Order: sequence, then structure tokens, then C-alpha cells
Amino acid sequence: MAGFILKRLLQAIFVILAVTLIVSFAIRLSGDPAIMLTGAGSVTEKDLENIRQALGLNRPFLVQYLEFLSGIARGDFGRSFMGGTPVSLLISKALPSTLLLAFASLAVSIAISVPLGVYAAVKRGKWPDQVIRVLSLVGLSFPNFWLAIMMVLFFSITLGLLPPSGMEGPESFIMPALTMAIILTATNVRLVRTSMLETLSQQYIMVARSKGLRDRVVLYKHALRNSAIPLVTYIGLQFGSLIGGIVIVERVFNWPGMGTLAFDAISARDYPVLQGSITVLALFIVLINLVVDIAYGLIDPRIRTE
Amino acid sequence: MAAAQAVPSSRRRFRSMEFVIGLLFAGTMTLAVLFSGFLFPDGGESMDLMARLVPPFTDPAHILGTDPLGRDVLARVVVGGRISLMVGVLSVLGAVVVGTLVGLVAGYYRGVAEVFLMRFADVQLALPFILLAIMFLAILGTGIDKIIFFMIVAQWVQYARLVRGSVLALRDREFILSARAIGVGNGRIIFHHILPNVLGPIVILMTLNVATNILLESSLTFLGLGVDPLIPSWGGMLADGRTYLQSAWWVSVFPGLAIMVTVLGLNLLGDWLRDLLDPLGQTNK
Amino acid sequence: MRISRTFKALGLAAAVALAPLMASSAQAAGTVTVALAIDAGSWDPIDTFIVDWASVGNNIYDGLTSRGPDMKLKPGLATSWEFLDDNARIRFKLRENVKFHNGEPFNAAAVKFTFDRLLGEEGKKGPQQSNYNAIDRVEVVDDNTVDFVMKQPDPVLLTKLAGYGAMIVPPQYIKEKGDEYFNTHPVGTGPFKFVSYDPKVNITLEANADHWGGAPKIDKVVYRMIAEANTQVAELQAGRIDIATLVPFGLAPTIEKAQNLSLVSITGPTAVALRLNTKNGITKDVNVRKALIMGVDRDAIIKAVLLGHAKPIASFQSELSFGYDPSLKPVPFDLAKAKQMLQQAGVQPGAPLKIDFRGNDATFREVAQAAAGFFQALGLKPTVQPYESPVLLNDIIPNGKTGEAWHNSWGGWTFDYDNTAYLMYHSGEKWNPYDNDPKLNALLEKQRTVYDVKEREKILQEVGRYVADQAMEIPLYNQNTLYGVNKRLKNFDPPSDRRFRFTDVTVE
Repeated sequence: MAGFILKRLLQAIFVILAVTLIVSFAIRLSGDPAIMLTGAGSVTEKDLENIRQALGLNRPFLVQYLEFLSGIARGDFGRSFMGGTPVSLLISKALPSTLLLAFASLAVSIAISVPLGVYAAVKRGKWPDQVIRVLSLVGLSFPNFWLAIMMVLFFSITLGLLPPSGMEGPESFIMPALTMAIILTATNVRLVRTSMLETLSQQYIMVARSKGLRDRVVLYKHALRNSAIPLVTYIGLQFGSLIGGIVIVERVFNWPGMGTLAFDAISARDYPVLQGSITVLALFIVLINLVVDIAYGLIDPRIRTE
Repeated sequence: MAAAQAVPSSRRRFRSMEFVIGLLFAGTMTLAVLFSGFLFPDGGESMDLMARLVPPFTDPAHILGTDPLGRDVLARVVVGGRISLMVGVLSVLGAVVVGTLVGLVAGYYRGVAEVFLMRFADVQLALPFILLAIMFLAILGTGIDKIIFFMIVAQWVQYARLVRGSVLALRDREFILSARAIGVGNGRIIFHHILPNVLGPIVILMTLNVATNILLESSLTFLGLGVDPLIPSWGGMLADGRTYLQSAWWVSVFPGLAIMVTVLGLNLLGDWLRDLLDPLGQTNK
Repeated sequence: MRISRTFKALGLAAAVALAPLMASSAQAAGTVTVALAIDAGSWDPIDTFIVDWASVGNNIYDGLTSRGPDMKLKPGLATSWEFLDDNARIRFKLRENVKFHNGEPFNAAAVKFTFDRLLGEEGKKGPQQSNYNAIDRVEVVDDNTVDFVMKQPDPVLLTKLAGYGAMIVPPQYIKEKGDEYFNTHPVGTGPFKFVSYDPKVNITLEANADHWGGAPKIDKVVYRMIAEANTQVAELQAGRIDIATLVPFGLAPTIEKAQNLSLVSITGPTAVALRLNTKNGITKDVNVRKALIMGVDRDAIIKAVLLGHAKPIASFQSELSFGYDPSLKPVPFDLAKAKQMLQQAGVQPGAPLKIDFRGNDATFREVAQAAAGFFQALGLKPTVQPYESPVLLNDIIPNGKTGEAWHNSWGGWTFDYDNTAYLMYHSGEKWNPYDNDPKLNALLEKQRTVYDVKEREKILQEVGRYVADQAMEIPLYNQNTLYGVNKRLKNFDPPSDRRFRFTDVTVE
């Protein structure tokens, strides 16, 4: 088991290294931050050279990359090219916002999909099952930015109920979390339904039923609990794609999170901020996968050999 | 309360319901798009600045109204499906070919190919997708070919992992072992015995990914990285129409509906296929 | 104001019960909330060029000169100035009894410190130094008098002293706290004092009652960073911001229709053109370029796409710009003649014409398509290619990888044609990837050495006429600056360059 964990850990470190290398390299191909910083002004090549010098950009790529890596090891992600704010400070502000939104989205999605999924499983093949499955797919059939804008128009402009953007109170979570959740729900409903069907067909449930336990008790106390393991695992894995998709939702709702941070950094060719934010996001995704993997390895020894 | 054992006839009826609606939606849209050249010979590009933002159902010449440049929304919605479907279908085909080949090789021969594939997949899963897209398109420039190429790069891993998993499960099965025992070549085993057995999950994933990629194209346009706006595309119309949602809803609502109907149709078909071909749920997506 | 604090203290639950959810943190009386598209990241004047910086910085800092909404130069921290030694030395009399927000006195030493910093090592790291390279050094004459000693003449120096990098900063404060601290805790002499800054979210200022120009009438200004235009307008409609600075023309009618809002549309410095590739493709031929200019109905584009919020131009500048030539008229639209000219030039029907533009510019997206419509009517085969802005500005244009035409939108904050023309047409400049015209080079170099206003204006007008004659670009229009403003703001007279000053603004 220790060998398995060590192997997974080494793999995770490899992944992080590869991510940092890809991002650092790619962003340097995509444009010169010195020009971005000077904008449309009347700059000479000498001015640009001065700025590059100040930013440390005229050193070989390998030197810059190694410096970035050793910085990470010390917990120092460097400073933003725009204004010199420490990247770690920017991330420490943005990461909680994104994680909160991600958790809220997952929570909303679970709150919607568990009852729907259970109900669909129970009514398998009947019209409520059909309606639930079709409706959950409808949510998956809109581009999320469009859904977000429509919601703003309805809830903020027409009804005047919710703030159109920003992260202020709990009320500002409603629309962004709902947008993300609708997309997740299609998958989750299906997942809950399938694993419920599986559990429901198992012996002990039948026994419980035959003993005359009430259906609702059987469902929620016995069946659902046993369907929870695959669900939680899958949701863990969903986290990664959730963070990827959050970029657009953050932009529409002006959410001060990691997606906004990284997107702005790409637009400004702010290398340190981009490197830092993507590395931290990747770290999170890898970490969650690692935990899921190891947990699985503990539960099911067959996976270790793979 | 009917639980595990549902009545077979109702199951079949349900499946065919999904199938019927899915086929109706996706099929109608595909047909309309395929015949768009015949229906709208101008390709939806005729512009009339004096007839901008005509509301729908008021002018028989523009049933669904016109956009801010006075172009016919109906024509653009129908023609616009070309780009969306092309991006969706070509990117998925590309990813399938690359991913299946790599997955077969990795799963069958294992060794270096497999290690490389798995680590590559890990790296790709750890990179936030949209950010990768923006960086990628920033370096290469935008264009349909590049968007398709990028989607292939981003998605082939899904197929490779799926195929590898199926191959791993198959390679030690009786019929493969006996084929090998009687001296059947590796290539023949892969293509005649293994590939047909993994086709089901692949087809499901393909259907769902065509839907995903249609949406992705519109997201990229939303971020300003889309294709030539002269060529109508659903994503482009939706993204450009968002500034007009309050003053001229029809400019983006109709392409939005077109996307929804098509993607929903594809998703329904995918779901139906999944029930049919993959009852164990290998392709949870 | 105090009431709102009490609300917050009562907790959100109470606020929810008492008012619609969204009003919980809405503006208190006396606060103006402004939406900005970009967070400049640092509030140090020498670190940035971003317009959004100036929307904030113009309230924190003062320059030696200043410029009001009418774009006329006025005294700022300098009360008067005179040109000495054949323009090689400019002497400024400084305003007396002015204090920085931290209590430090403003004097000649502060001016010297500001410019030593700008022109020295610290300034080298930022983009502002290059704007002020004509200054050799600043000499202190007495506590209230400084001399600017020039390396070379700079006719627009006084304008430049009103903006960006030339804002006067407090020497003691920076020496004590360091540059880094100053970036996020700015101190100036302006009408508003810095209160707090939350990166990527907001920056808050409060009134400086001791300002030499009079105390502001509002208590607070809050700037919120909102990158999406639709989101800015939604926030404006919801009454949560007072000023939206990012208003695509497509959203203008929405603002106009809203009862609590007004659309402010003012002539600004922004000129928009389709620059033409004079080296490759069909646009290599000057007659083809002329035909293209004639074949685009710019009045129709202004009317339909820009909803009238723009004026046609004949050269790449607005009428506010120094060097503007009122006698130079836009080429009138004539499709038939343009077609004929193309034919005479031997252009085949279906010849390709590619327009490169910034993909995130919602308004130009439509303009590019409308222009392409006209090129199509000329029998050409136009394509329009969106780029991510950094790629277009860093690579495609400077390295000469553009199509036949590319989108160029130019602010020109100095309101001087030199600032546009030199960078666009002088050989070797980043914005001029294709041309090397000795005559144009000579004209552009000459005007930079001339201090005589009339003489310089004449040369600049000649440049404009020459460029028009060579048809080096399709001048499209001078675009108005649009703001969406909540009607509760009174006395808000916004400048077209977004460098607001909120001294006289009141709120209901």
C-alpha cells in the first residue's frame, strides 16, 4: 500500500512539473509583456528593453523557469507584472472565492439531483423518469454564458431581486452557483439514478422491503447511503472540470476568483500571475484526484495493480 | 412503486421516446443545415443596413426578423448550423481516430506507450480547459481549423483512456487468447476482435462530445476567439447578440434555440445509445 | 451613509427582511460608484498607461497643469509658467500652502523628486518614462519655483504634465514606506484621498476637504472593476453603480430607454480607421486604396451601427486634435465610381481582402462586417479575422502579418496629431509595418522641432493631406465616448478621456 501511495505521489509531482513547464513555455510564446505594459504609447526598443530587464525577461527561459520552480518551493510565486502585487496575495484572495463558488455549485447540484435521481429511479420507465431525464439534459444544452445573461436579465433587471454581479453577500452566490449547477445536474441525476437502480436490485433492499419497512425509509436510509460512494468519488473528479468551466461564469458574474485572475493574466501577458494561478489550480485538481485514487486503492485493492 | 424490475414493454417505449425526440431534433436540424445552400443561396450574408433589427413575424421576407446589420436571422440560423456542426463533427472524428489508435496500442502492448498516455492524460486533466484554449488560440491565431485542431488535442485523451480501459478488460479474455494461440497477428486481433467490442462506448462518447463541442465553439466566440463573424455560426450569433438581448431578443434567442434543439437531440440520442450499448455505465460523462 | 453602516451592523438577515436583497449594499447618500473595465494593479503614476488608471488617479493626484472636461489646459499645482532660454527651460511658479493627503507639504522639492523618480531607475521599469524623455532634469529655484531643463523640445509637454506619469507624488512618504507600499496605498494632493484597495474588486476614495480647488461635495467614490460590458450595464440598471464606462453601441438604446438612466455621448479623441497594407495584396496599388475608401459608405455605418454616436473623418484624428484640418473633407461614397476605379486598376472580381481586428471589440465587430458588406458590393471577397488584442498589437501589426486591412483605434490622449501621425507613418515605428516614405518622414521629424504653434499646425495639416492623398488608410469615424449614468448624479460633466474629477458632483 505504501508503495502504491508513493507511486501516485510521484506521478502527481510529475504532473505538476509538466503543467508548470507547459504553461511557462506557452505563455512566453504568446507575446511580450513589455509591449502590453506600454500599450499604444510611443516607446522605443530601448524603453522596452529596460522594462524587460526590470521584469527579468531577458534571461534564458530555463533560468526563469527554474527561478519560478524554486520560488514555488518557498511558497513565493513572484510578483504581478501589473503593479507588482505579490502573486500569492492575489491567489489567496481569489482561491477562496472560486472554491466557495465551486462548493456552492456542487451543493446546489446535489440538492437538485439527488431527489430527482432517486425519484427517477423509483419511477423507472414511467413518465416522471422520462421528464426528469429529458429536463436534466435541457440544462446541458445551453452555452453557460448565455444562460447566465438570461438569468441576470430575469432576476436582476426584470424582477430586481438579485445583484447582477460581484461577490458580496450570500445572495450573490445564487445565480453563479445555479448556472454551474444546472450543467452538473444533468450528469449527477443520471449518476444517482443509475446507482440507485443498482442498489435497489440488491438482495438486502429486497429483504428490507419484504420486512415491511416503509418505502421512503428504505430509499433514503439504506439505498441512498450505498449509492453515495460512487457519487462522492465522481463528484471529486468533477471538481477539476468544474474549475475549468468556472472561467466563463466568473467573467459574466464578475466573480473575483481564480478564473478571472488567470483570464486577466493571459490578456495582459502577466506571466507570474498566470503561472501561479494555473499551478495552484492544477495542484488542487491533482490533489483531489490523488485523494480519490488513494481512497479507492484502500477500498478496492484491484485498482492498485493497474 | 415499481422499482428494479420495470415492465419490459414500458422500458422499450421509454427508450424509443428518447430516440424519437432525439432523432427528430437532431435530424431535423441536420437536414435543414445540409440543405441550407439550397434554401438560402446567399448564405445569410446579404446585408441591408437600412433594415436592421426588424422584429420577427412582422415582415414575410424576414420571418425571424433581422440582425443589427439587417441580415435575415432565419437564413443565418439555418446556414449557421454548418459551422457549428462542422466544428462539432470534425473535431470529434479527429479525436476518435487519434484517441482510439493510441488507446488500442497502449492497452494492447502496454509498456512505454501506456505510461506515456496515462501521464499525458493526467497532465491534460490538470490543466483548466478554457484557459488552455485561450492560450492556444493566442499563440496560433483563431480560425475554424485551429479551433477544431485544439478540440482534438483536448479531447483525444478521453477516447484513448476509454479504449485502453476496454482493451485491458478484453485482452486476457478467452476469445482473444485463443485467437492468439492459433497464430492470429496482433494487427488482426486489434482490428477484428478488440475494436468491434469497444465501439459502443466510443459512439456514445462521440455523440455527447459533438454536443459539447458545439457549445464550446460558442464559448470561445463569447471570449472573442471565434471564427470569422461574416460566416454565420450559432456561437457567433449568440455571442454577438448578447448586447441586444434587452432591445432585440430575437437576434440571439433563435440561434440559442437552434443550439438547444440540436444539442438536446444529440444528448438524447447519446443517452439512448448508452442505455442500448453500455448498460454498465462505462461512459459516465 | 451612517444609516447604511447600521444596516450592515444589523446583519444581512435584517437587511434581507427590510429591503430587496440587492439594495443591501447599494450606494449611500454621498457615494458615487464607478465601474472600470481593468484593474491597473498599481496606483503609482509611473507604473501604467491604462485609461482606467487615470479615471482613479485623476482624483488622487494633481499635475503641474490640468485639463478639464473641455480639454483646455489650466493651471494645476503650477499657477503660471514661462518659456526661457529659447524654449530650453520652462519655469513654473508653484501653488502655495498645498499639502499631500498625509500632511506632507507640496513644494519644489516634491516636484524635483517626482521627476527624478520618473526619469531615473524607478521610472525605467515602467511605461511612462518614454513619454517624458524630452525632459533633461528639474532644477529647484526656490521653494515655490522650479525649472524644467529640456533635452530636446517637446511641443506637447504642457499637456503631458497634466496626465499620468507627471502626477506629483510625496517624497517623504515614498522614501519612508517604499515604492511597493506606495503602489497599493497611493497618496497625492488631489480632491480625494485613498481609503482602501481590494485587487480585482474595488478601490475606494474619500473626499479631501482641504483640496486647493475646493472641497468635494460627495463623501466617497468607489470604483468597481467589471470587465464585461453587459455586466456593467446590468449593474447600472440595477442601480448598483452610477457610471458605466464600458458601453458598446449596441447597448446604448437599452440605457436610453431606462427611466433612471441617461446616456452621455460626447465627442472624444478616439479615431477609428482601417489601415491598409501598402506592401502586399490588391491594396498595394494607390488607386485601389482610393477606390476602397470611396466604396465604403461611412455615413451609413455611423448611422446604422454606431447609432449616430460618431462623426466621419478625413484623416486619422478627431476634430479636437491639434493638427486637425477642417478643409480636408471625407471622400464621398460612390459605389459605381469605386467599382470602375477597381476595374481600371485591373482588380479581378472575387479578389481577396482580409480585415484583421480585435475580437473583443463588440462595436468594431459589427463595423468590420458592415465594411466587408461594402467590399462585397464592390465585387471583392472579404474575410474578417478576429484576434486576441495582445496578439494583434504585439505580433500581427508590428511584424507586418496583417491582411489587406486592419483595425486601428487610436485614443491620442495628448490631443495632438503628432502623437498619432509619427507613430503611424514614420518608418520603423511599431504601428507602421509597411511604409518608408522619405517625404513623410521628413515632415514628421520637422514638426517635432518646431515650437511655433501656427507653423507646427501647418506641417501637421500637410501630413494629414499627404496621407489622405496616398490613401494609406480608410479613415472611418471619430467615435464618441459613451457613458451610462444614473440620473441621481448631478453636475456630472464627464470628460471624453474618462479622466473624471468628482469635485463638483452631487448625488440625490
